Amino acid sequence: MIETFITSFKLQNTYRTNSIIYSLKQLLLIKRILPNSLYKNRGLKIFANIISILLEIINIFIGKIIYILAMIFVPLSWYNSNVSDTFIHLFMFLTLAGGVLNTYMLNPTKDKYYAIILMNIDERKYGLSNYYYQLIKLIIGFLPFTILFGMIAGVPLWIQIVLPFFVVAIKLIVMNYCIYHFKKTNKASNENIPTKFVWGFVAVCLLLAYGLPAINITINQTILLLVFIISIILGIYSLVKIHNFKDYRKMYKQILTESNVYMQERNAGTQALKDTSLKQIELDKTYTSNKSGFAYFHDLFVKRHRKILTTAVKKQSVVILVIFIAMIIGISVNDNFKSKTNEILMVYLPYFVFIMYCINRSSSVTQAMFMNCDHSMLTYRIYRTPKVILGIFKERLKTLITINLLPATLIGLGLALLLYLSGGTDNSLNYLILFVSIISMSIFFSVHYLVMYYLLQPYNVSTEMKSSTYKVVQGLTYIVCWYMIQIRLPIFSFGIATIVFCIAYCLISLFLAYKYAPKTFKLRV
Amino acid sequence: MKLVVRNLKKSFEKKEVLKDINFEFEKGKIYGLLGRNGAGKTTFFNCLNEDIDINEGEFYIEDNNNKRKMEAEDIGYVLSTPNVPEFLTAREFLKFFIDINQKRIKDLKTIDEYFDFMKIEEEDRDRLLKDYSHGMKNKMQMLVNIIANPNVLLLDEPLTSFDVVVSEEMKQMLREIKQNHIIIFSTHIMELALDLCDEIVILNKGVLEEVDKNNLNNEQFKNKIIEALKEE
Repeated sequence: MIETFITSFKLQNTYRTNSIIYSLKQLLLIKRILPNSLYKNRGLKIFANIISILLEIINIFIGKIIYILAMIFVPLSWYNSNVSDTFIHLFMFLTLAGGVLNTYMLNPTKDKYYAIILMNIDERKYGLSNYYYQLIKLIIGFLPFTILFGMIAGVPLWIQIVLPFFVVAIKLIVMNYCIYHFKKTNKASNENIPTKFVWGFVAVCLLLAYGLPAINITINQTILLLVFIISIILGIYSLVKIHNFKDYRKMYKQILTESNVYMQERNAGTQALKDTSLKQIELDKTYTSNKSGFAYFHDLFVKRHRKILTTAVKKQSVVILVIFIAMIIGISVNDNFKSKTNEILMVYLPYFVFIMYCINRSSSVTQAMFMNCDHSMLTYRIYRTPKVILGIFKERLKTLITINLLPATLIGLGLALLLYLSGGTDNSLNYLILFVSIISMSIFFSVHYLVMYYLLQPYNVSTEMKSSTYKVVQGLTYIVCWYMIQIRLPIFSFGIATIVFCIAYCLISLFLAYKYAPKTFKLRV
Repeated sequence: MKLVVRNLKKSFEKKEVLKDINFEFEKGKIYGLLGRNGAGKTTFFNCLNEDIDINEGEFYIEDNNNKRKMEAEDIGYVLSTPNVPEFLTAREFLKFFIDINQKRIKDLKTIDEYFDFMKIEEEDRDRLLKDYSHGMKNKMQMLVNIIANPNVLLLDEPLTSFDVVVSEEMKQMLREIKQNHIIIFSTHIMELALDLCDEIVILNKGVLEEVDKNNLNNEQFKNKIIEALKEE
């Protein structure tokens, strides 16, 4: 089993190393300098190997620290209950939720797919050795932080130490149940598509975790000790069962299907995304169009994909409405809240760059356009004539702007109304600027993503993302928007600057798209 | 009308895939493009279709001694893996293609006539393309490329996914339309190439050359082609 583990670890490290070199090669500026022979360059290979191992080590700790910090340590300040008990309470219920959501073993990762399906490594040896490795990583990753944060929260040392083992015990129990279920039904389920029962269980755990401390009820050390002892006993029993289970082959055959594995990379655009999107076409087959040419083509695309294109926007709009109504009620009943709101509104417009970035759907809509339309159409030379490309681009731009305008209009109007109701402003132009700048931001993001898509078309015929430049642009967009959170500027000056910037950006990028898209908008080879 | 390729070169880093391609493809003929795996057939097609940039050389259309650039409208490329927009029905896909090519289509037929021509059954015509089989999608891809009436038709292993009956139909169809087109047909199946193509062209070591049949019988010609392909 150790040999299998070493082989699989080497395999994993090899393609991680190659991925690092590949990513380097994809960067626009250096891709021409670096030759293909790079993959056999020993020095670089060692360098990438070191990075790969460093990433693995960081990976052990980084997730755990964020998890404990965000899910347990920060929420501690919300409650008046005993800090130490609340820490234990939150940890215990969240562990139960996490236990059913992530078993490691039933997660259809690419690593497993490569090793088991493509390289034909023994399923049981691979599955078990990597499972044990994950559990050891779990203990090593959790221990420093349960001790650190536990100490700050005043949790007794013995509990700080047993908590990671409790997590492992829960994982083992859940996995054993999954194996028992598989033996009984012959069905293994992909843990990334949780059943309603799993979601229900998680919801109950979250409710108990965060709800009970609010009414001053928490699990105390005695109960934890009891739960811990039971878990350890059941955990050891489960470990024996898991270790002795023979039919991993059959189980992995069911889990490691291509669609399951590639669902992992939803962001990169995948078959699974395509599959889900395609399912939506069927329902809308009855839609037709009276238009002609590319307007007809685009019209049918929009109508047949109405659900993926607009469902999220509709949901967003409802949430936005609810938030504004709650804010208006808050303003009308609490004077302090009212004056605070007015104060915030006057200088928080830059924050809305980030919010508008988060709610903008353009990135996923362009992805859907590729997966469901351009992926096939770009193979036709006639589709790539300037007339067709720009004709469809224009139609798409209109659609994207319209889709994103619904929540943007609500936010723009809502903010102006809130400003008015919370005490107003000296300069009545501020209402208009507030509204127009929000609309400009929305249009800006729509144009930005569509133009980037047309200028950098990042996918190849197998729907794989092949452009690091595209990823860099996406990353930069995020960083700039995130940076805006820190800025406080008056509505007037920031609003005017935003509007001018958005108009200038849109004009320049549309010019670039019209000039270069007929050359750049093609499948990557 | 001819498609003329002059001194075409394409390298991927240091690897020269197409070294110096010089060839004239004439209208009215089907050219069988043969080459071993990795010889560069698809690269050659991708260059002509401008999917990738070439390093050197040129290719153009020569019509009545007038030389002109090969435009997007001049070329149709049928891939071995068919790609069709799955959210459209076959009828809608054809309508879209006819719409955008309207000016170029001589003696425009009705959509159903095109379906009849490609032998696509009535009950399939209003189905979403996502429900089509691989072979049916391939038929549709072939059909839209023929409707667009390009001067040059590049076919990359197009008949391999068809059953024997459809494959015969397609061969017959290609023979019918060849008078008005330059058809370049890449395949690994020697019998198919010998049966369908008027000329056999071999891509070997980055160079394109014609294999003359002269007075050889099919078996002798086949051996000659294999020898040419084996040449190091």
